[in-house]
Amino acid sequence: MAEPLLSLKEVGHSFGGLSVLRSVTLDVPEGGIIGLIGPNGSGKTTLFNIVTGYIRPLAGTITYRGAVLGRDTIQQRGLQGLVRTFQTPQVFEQMTVLENVMVGCTKLTRTSMLQDLLRTPAARGQMREIRERAEAACERFSLTALRDLPAASLTAGQRRILEIARAVVGEPRLLLLDEPSSGLNVQEIDDLRDWIVRLNEEGITILLVSHDMGLMTVAPTVHTLYFGEIIASGDMAAIQRDPRVREVYLGV
Amino acid sequence: MNSRTLLWLVPCLIVWAVLPFVVPRYMADLLVFTGIYTVAGLGIGLLLGHCGIVNLAQATFYGLGAYASAYCTVMMGLPSIVGFIAGAAISMALAYVIGRPILRLTGYFLALGTLALSAIASALFFEWDWLTGGTLGIGGIPKLDLFGFLLDRPSRYYFFVWIVAFACMAVAHNLVDSRTGLMLRSMRDSSTAAAALSIDLQTLRTKVFVVCALFGSLAGSLFAHHASFVSTQSFTVDRSISFLLIPVIGGATSIPGIVVGALFVTFLPELLSKLGDIHQILFGLALVAVVVLMPDGLVGAFGRLRTRLARRGNSNG
Repeated sequence: MAEPLLSLKEVGHSFGGLSVLRSVTLDVPEGGIIGLIGPNGSGKTTLFNIVTGYIRPLAGTITYRGAVLGRDTIQQRGLQGLVRTFQTPQVFEQMTVLENVMVGCTKLTRTSMLQDLLRTPAARGQMREIRERAEAACERFSLTALRDLPAASLTAGQRRILEIARAVVGEPRLLLLDEPSSGLNVQEIDDLRDWIVRLNEEGITILLVSHDMGLMTVAPTVHTLYFGEIIASGDMAAIQRDPRVREVYLGV
Repeated sequence: MNSRTLLWLVPCLIVWAVLPFVVPRYMADLLVFTGIYTVAGLGIGLLLGHCGIVNLAQATFYGLGAYASAYCTVMMGLPSIVGFIAGAAISMALAYVIGRPILRLTGYFLALGTLALSAIASALFFEWDWLTGGTLGIGGIPKLDLFGFLLDRPSRYYFFVWIVAFACMAVAHNLVDSRTGLMLRSMRDSSTAAAALSIDLQTLRTKVFVVCALFGSLAGSLFAHHASFVSTQSFTVDRSISFLLIPVIGGATSIPGIVVGALFVTFLPELLSKLGDIHQILFGLALVAVVVLMPDGLVGAFGRLRTRLARRGNSNG
């Protein structure tokens, strides 16, 4: 079997005396969609924070593309193609929709601040490239009509899409979506589902955290997290049949 | 540049060009100060409006620029350009060394950190009298000489200062409009999300702090050559506060707003001083009025007024 893109081995973490993750081991194969479900407080977001570098785990190792992610910063992980969205969409509120997407492109180009201060031809060229990419992304994610509005004026659903568009323009290899369906209506969840499938077909590996059992069916493999431990893994049908999952999570 | 921009830019330029010849000398002097304060205020504006950082240390860099120019020209007899360069180099190095650790802080803590820097620098300018002349200061700083053309009158120096100020505004505008500008604003709106998009907050903030220090030092050198005399009184925490007021009053995200802010802090106290002892209270009240009624500064308030008038015009027509 090919080496997984991301691999967590016995990852553990606690806040103060409270253990939030106990020895979590899971693999994310390249090109796959892996789901992660679990009730509130089961450690899903902590796991995301650990993988993306917001929190340093107290135990275990994380391997990404064959190399251990040790002291790599959030930014370095991002440059390696690890990009996340947030449980509460974090858009840049005072910037326009287009500018939000443009920020997502900045990591693909390099200019020094001196070049930017003097507006050298290189700086102008890169800015043009950033704008073109962002415009294409707005077009693709049907944000063109909104592109000159400040992001603060968007609805929850539009913010989700903007956040995903902003992440995707940066050409991620592994996209981590944290509760992408919360706050969305049924139609928006359907659209989101289509997006996840389409992005995955384009080669982006996806790690999806959600409460939403319906949305979760996009993932061929789902892990169930409960009090910091994986208690069941398999496809959604198997998960829903699993007696422990039914007991602790579905409440039946 | 579109025709509407030209429509207001051309009259502005004409007014700018004739102004020093038609106003009394003391006003020409104030206009020179407005230019100097615009340069210093631009740095603060970049930090405040685009990074969300309150910098209360600009008088430090202003002082470094002024003392570097004074020391190099008076004590060492070097050409004035050396003073400009030395001041800029020292200020930028200091901003980098101090900025790296203190820019980890955010909000009030960072503001207090910069305030502490200004207080320390102000004390050192006083204590190190072998270098700065202490309260006696350094006098006899020569007027600038531009290829044999002596800038010895306010009306002459006015043009030099303002050309420098316009160049600084252009540079600041480039920065705001660039890839760096995008990253700065994203960081101001949500540093968590900016980090997820691989934006290195710490480095960016430090760089902008260094640019701010460069502007501060440049303004200080311009001041030294204008006043011919520098002493500790010009570089106190009070001065840092009045520099911070420039973008707060004018509008921190707007570059023309910095000029408006600089006009406010140079002219208003002067005009009010004719009213006698009460002038400081009146200036304070004017300040409170602007900050409370116009949270995005005079330029922001003007923009909103224009939008409202346009909307009213549309609904009537």
